Formats: sequence, structure tokens, C-alpha cells
Amino acid sequence: MLLAYRVPREPSTPRIAIWRRLKRIGVAQLGDGLVALPQDARTQEQLEWVAEQVDEAGGRSTLWSAQALSQAQERAVIAELAAARGVEYAAVVARVESLTDAERVELARGLRVARRELRAIERRDHFPPVEREQARQAVAELAARARATDALVEQS
Amino acid sequence: MKWATRSGVHIDRASSAWLIARFLDPGAEFVFVADLSEVPDGATPFDMRGVDFGHHGGDCTFETLLRRHDVVDPVLWRIGEIIHEADIEDEKFDAPEGPGLDALLRGLSMTQPDEEILRLTRPMFDGLYEYHRRALLGRQGHA
Repeated sequence: MLLAYRVPREPSTPRIAIWRRLKRIGVAQLGDGLVALPQDARTQEQLEWVAEQVDEAGGRSTLWSAQALSQAQERAVIAELAAARGVEYAAVVARVESLTDAERVELARGLRVARRELRAIERRDHFPPVEREQARQAVAELAARARATDALVEQS
Repeated sequence: MKWATRSGVHIDRASSAWLIARFLDPGAEFVFVADLSEVPDGATPFDMRGVDFGHHGGDCTFETLLRRHDVVDPVLWRIGEIIHEADIEDEKFDAPEGPGLDALLRGLSMTQPDEEILRLTRPMFDGLYEYHRRALLGRQGHA
């Protein structure tokens, strides 16, 4: 599914809000003002509301149900999306690793943040890369460590 | 009054229908359509593209309905925050109930027809309202 859109450069606030929203739902940027998502009921609704936001910002939008003529090109777009999410998952793993020597309170806070980030990435992850499992694993281990630290405090 | 919305209802449409039937229009009747062009004459469309009661200025439909009807009930605005997070997920509000409600409604949409979802979720939203009404009582200092 494609959204072709054009938003006036000024004012910049609605333009940036639209850009942020597209980023949050994990679109593939195919060109200036052209983004793609795999089509299902949820993504279609998400793009429809972005289109509405574009129209309200005085811009122009059209939604397309589209099919790439070349399978290789379609696979390239999918690979690009998977790679982008992969980088985000890797950042979660890096955050977890930075907590190696963390104390109990810092550990609990780090776990909350890591879980929230992981959820946000999973929501916009349409083609899960291998890094997803690694990030889930890292967060699960962090949770186990946080529990162990808590148990230690209760015993003392 | 007759109200129309897209079929395949999720959290925003289910909660908006509850809001309409309980607070805005006690005699409300709902029809489900595939497209704006199918909205029957005299019916008010909601949660559809290009209609007044839809997503506007960052609000979800539930919030738009509250705003357009000048609703001041703090409990309904709190529920609006939850629906916003369940539907738009932009972390504008701290509403941990959001993802859970979203999961429930998504599951219902896989197993139940639209009319049945509205019927099943009515007591759920009534309960959510009562829960948050009590939670806000202490803050306001009166019943």
C-alpha cells in the first residue's frame, strides 16, 4: 500500500508531525512524499488517518493499493525495512549491555525503558529481522537479573 | 438518531459508539458501512475519513466527539486518553490500559460481528467509567 503526499513547507509544525507519525508506524520511504507499508486492516487504517492529517495540513494525498512489477525490487524494500528495524533492535541490546554494572534501582529503570522501546519497535516491525529475537532475549535476561537483585535485597 | 461507521470496528469505533449511546444520544442506532458513499441519508458518520467526527488535530474520534459536544466530564476525558493510546499509540498520555484494551478489541474483531462487539463492550466501558469515576473522587473531594 502506498501513500503519496505533499505538505506545504510552511508552517513546519504539521509537516514535522506527519513525518514523525510516519516514522512511528514504520513506513518504507520510497521517495520524496512517497511511502509504503504492507497492507492489512491496521496499516490501512493508520495510513488513512495520516492521509487525513495531510489534507488537514493543506496538503494533498492519495492512497494506493500497489504491486511492484519486479519481485526483486519488492524484496529490496522489505530488506530495507527489516534492516531499519534491525538497527533499532540493536540499540535496545546496546542499552541493555550498558547496564552490566548497574545497581538495583538503575536496573529497574533501565528495564522499564528497554521494555517500552522494544514494544514500540515491535509495533512498527512488519518484517522481523534476526535482531528482534536478540533484543527480546537481552531484555528477558535483564528482567531475570532485576528479579535476582530484588530477591537478594529481600533476603538481606 | 442514526449513526454510521466503518465495519470491522476496533477500539476507537467501539468506544465512540458507547460514548454516543450512553452520553450523547440515548436513542442512537448504529449502521456499519464499507465506504462513506454507503452512509444512509440522515445518518451521522463517525470515525471515517473526511467526516467531522473523525481524527482531527492529533485527536482520535472519541476525543473529537468529546470536544465537539463540549463535554467537561473529567472521567470521560480520562477514558479519552486511554482510547487515544490504544488507538494512536503515540505516548502522548500515560495510559497503561491502552495496549490491553487494544488487544481485547482486536481479538473481539476476529471472532465477533460488529453489532455483537458493541453489545459486548458496553458493560466493559461502563465498568471502565465507574472505575475511573471512583479513582477521581478523592481528587475532587466530592461525590
